[in-house]
Amino acid sequence: MSAPNEDTMSSQLSSHFFGDLLDSIIVDVASECHRIARLGLDRNLEEEEEELRLSTQARVRVADPSNSGEANSKYVVDIFGQSHPPIASEIFECMNCGRSIMAGRFAPHLEKCMGKGRKARLKATRSSTAAQNRYSRGSPVSSYSPYSNSTSTSRLSNGTPGVGGEEYSNGTFEEP
Amino acid sequence: MSKQNPSYTNPKPCKHLADYKLRHGLTGFKTLQNCLKTTPYGRTSVSKHKSETPRCSLCFGYQGRLYFCLICSSITCSSHANGHSQSHHGHEISVDVERAELYCCVCRDQVYDPDFDRAVVSKHFMDMPSNVNGVEGVVEESNKRRRLGLGLELESKRSKRLISMADRRAKSIFPLGLRGLNNLGNTCFMNSVLQALFHAPPLRNYFLSDRHNRQSCRKRSSDRLCLPCDIDVIFSAVFSGDRTPYSPARFLYSWWQHSENLASYEQQDAHEFFISMLDQIHEKEGKSQNKDKDNRDCQCIAHKAFSGLLRSDVTCTTCGFTSTTYDPCVDISLNLDMSFCPSTGMTNRTTKPNENAIISTLLGCLDLFTRPEKLGPDQKLYCQNCQERRNSLKQMSIRRLPIVLCLHIKRFEHSTIRKMSRKIDQYLQFPFSLDMTPYLSSSIVRNRFGNRIFAFEGDESETCTEFEVFALVTHSGMLESGHYVTYVRVRNQWYKCDDAWITEVDEGVVRASQCYLMYYVQKGFYYKASEDLSCLPMSPPGGESYLPIAGCC
Repeated sequence: MSAPNEDTMSSQLSSHFFGDLLDSIIVDVASECHRIARLGLDRNLEEEEEELRLSTQARVRVADPSNSGEANSKYVVDIFGQSHPPIASEIFECMNCGRSIMAGRFAPHLEKCMGKGRKARLKATRSSTAAQNRYSRGSPVSSYSPYSNSTSTSRLSNGTPGVGGEEYSNGTFEEP
Repeated sequence: MSKQNPSYTNPKPCKHLADYKLRHGLTGFKTLQNCLKTTPYGRTSVSKHKSETPRCSLCFGYQGRLYFCLICSSITCSSHANGHSQSHHGHEISVDVERAELYCCVCRDQVYDPDFDRAVVSKHFMDMPSNVNGVEGVVEESNKRRRLGLGLELESKRSKRLISMADRRAKSIFPLGLRGLNNLGNTCFMNSVLQALFHAPPLRNYFLSDRHNRQSCRKRSSDRLCLPCDIDVIFSAVFSGDRTPYSPARFLYSWWQHSENLASYEQQDAHEFFISMLDQIHEKEGKSQNKDKDNRDCQCIAHKAFSGLLRSDVTCTTCGFTSTTYDPCVDISLNLDMSFCPSTGMTNRTTKPNENAIISTLLGCLDLFTRPEKLGPDQKLYCQNCQERRNSLKQMSIRRLPIVLCLHIKRFEHSTIRKMSRKIDQYLQFPFSLDMTPYLSSSIVRNRFGNRIFAFEGDESETCTEFEVFALVTHSGMLESGHYVTYVRVRNQWYKCDDAWITEVDEGVVRASQCYLMYYVQKGFYYKASEDLSCLPMSPPGGESYLPIAGCC
């Protein structure tokens, strides 16, 4: 019966070819590394490992709850010996309307005052194009070339000042 | 990390290679060129008789490495190569048939020669279809003018900035430029970027040496709105020595007037703000010059500091034709590299990534950015040479580094299926000192041709490739709501700038933080800036006094 022999032979042959190809690829890598090492193009692996080690150590220390020197609370004193209330209390004049506004509430005031912002814009015109423009991510930048293929809804938003970790959800927007 | 100049060293030849060069010069290499076969992927092999399988002339073996003698063209396998050199005097140097690498049969080692490599690379250029759009041949002007220009200009100005030390609470042991910024209502995205920019040496020097003079600006332009003027106000305030938190209200007002779609009281993205701010500075300052599309020569401070040039190569995998385009950029957006898993030591692409097991590194992200990307079958690009759509490889590299390098980590992913985005909290390890050499176009192109010793375009560039981190904008929380905090590095001490609160932190805290925007500056600028700040004014007893600070502090 020739069939089983043919099978064994073809599987032997394919293993043989595979072995050859694999050997060739291994030599490729060896040759490339040899060249990189001889020409001094290699990266400083020791430095990289050291950096990795420092980072791992740092993360362990930070994760350790007994190590909360890094106080999240806003009731700390800064390096100049000052402490500040959670909402900035400085009072100054709005440059648009002249009213006296507290710093921590300046942005929401200015938004209404200047007629900007979602509520103001929706009031101004009810057309759907206005709503579309509001979510458009057309980059205003002439010098920025979006060379990557990612879509443009790529932003991380910030919250109001608060105790670290607290999520103050304000003005969240729908997914486009 | 030691820096070689150029970025590779010419290795010393072995005795046998040196002898060969003395006796035969370049003739052997030139003849060999005709036998070299190149592929669009950058591989070179020796193929003298195209239809024959190369075999060892002594044992007729065809497996393993085969070597082609440069003197007599006979082929030997690795077992018999040494014998060949012994029986034939002077036949010591041969070439690896599969890889076109020089091999010394006596030393039994791979050896390297710049003239040989030049012959190999030239063959590639000869075989490659010529670049139709001609961009490749454009010789880039030397960076010298631009790099020295900025530094020298600012230092030779020697404008003395008088700084009032009226405020006794100045706590003169702390460097200038540290001052909290009040959160005006969801404005930590803005505060965090501003804090980083206060310590960007070119920007800091520019504004503190009064290069944007508010009086002359008001006289010159009828347009009352000028973001650079408002930035100048903030710089003066932050470097004044007054340490009570500053409210950047005027700046916010000014910025909103220029950016219609971003002007609202809501949570925003720091990167978007950064780009918007640079754009507005350019609008105001760059407009008055030549409308040159290439921002390289733009004299506005935003571009002088941040503008670099990216190179994009698209190679047809069928014929090797490469189309090269250059695009200016003010930052580099990086995808997180999720492939390195230190516990197993293997790449972990197949299994679902467990965020704790994987360590992403900044170098890994930069590798990912410059890796050749196979454009899939649905993304076939038109090849000018083949005159049809072909599979291609796309590869990015950096043609020209900016003075201040802003790296933006894309910490979000979109699921088109679920129609939602989520934030990626994956930790990113990063170095304090960063050498950008491997990501330069010259290095990437060299690598594409097998790291041959050859002066590729861009090699002559003198720009410093070593960078130091000086500011990190970090984010904590979710995509829609979270908090930004900036860490700045002043005279090798790290400070946390959390809206109004400035505190000292240990570098470990910084290493462990979740970076979103990373600001690196060329080493020379970093160390110079540190020196400048060391000329600290000390508040003398009794009343206010003015202290001149020489240079660009």
